[in-house]
Amino acid sequence: MTSENSYLVALFHSTSGALMAEKLFKREGIAHKIIPVPRHISSDCGVSLRFFASERERVEATLAGKVDIQNICPL
Amino acid sequence: MKREIDARGLACPEPVMLAKKAIDEGGNCVIVVDNEAARDNVCRMAKSQGCTAKVEEGEGIFSVYITAGGESIKSKETAPSIGPTVVVFPSDRMGHGDDELGEILIRGFLYALGEVSPKPDTLIFFNAGVKLAVQGSEVLEDLNSLEEKGITLLVCGTCLDFYGLKEKLGAGIISNMYDIAETMLSAGKVIRI
Repeated sequence: MTSENSYLVALFHSTSGALMAEKLFKREGIAHKIIPVPRHISSDCGVSLRFFASERERVEATLAGKVDIQNICPL
Repeated sequence: MKREIDARGLACPEPVMLAKKAIDEGGNCVIVVDNEAARDNVCRMAKSQGCTAKVEEGEGIFSVYITAGGESIKSKETAPSIGPTVVVFPSDRMGHGDDELGEILIRGFLYALGEVSPKPDTLIFFNAGVKLAVQGSEVLEDLNSLEEKGITLLVCGTCLDFYGLKEKLGAGIISNMYDIAETMLSAGKVIRI
């Protein structure tokens, strides 16, 4: 199921968490996009970071100990 | 005197249209229908016209008693939004408050515009809103994909010039105040972000 081009979204506990994560993504050069949390994941009004599934390990390593990830879900 | 309209056996939307005609002609009336969908639709329409609707049921037949409201019916009618939907972006952020939050919100909004329906027909960018449509903008990809979907993006030329961004336009077409004013005035709906 996990192809090179499929997307994952990282959810955070707060909007400021998502913002901080984005800054780290930018610093690391991880391709990403800020999107509203998809409806099928939660009806909350929140933002999430979309990234390529192939980058999952790098994403987790980048955020480890810096920003707490609430969940990573397929888009 | 109550007029009685027999709408049994008629397919949707005819019962509603007959009821609407009766309400427009004034006074009270009874619409007789033979199914629940027609009953509900007639009731909803009557209420939307400022009337009250009461239903009597018997042997699969529904009689909807419509009583005109106290206020003039015409004044209750809302203008239909016929014509294009226009979304205007006077700023490169969404709402006032925290700038960083406003930037995140507008990115989310432009992404969502590509995902939801109905789609707007035209987006207009002016003042700092033009910064969304230039190279280096975080939402350029979203704007390009909205253009591919047939949505027109008008970007204020005066504003691009003011910010020194004319050469950097990355989405939409450079527009002038005449086009912008005409597009807004001929719209069915203008949504300001």
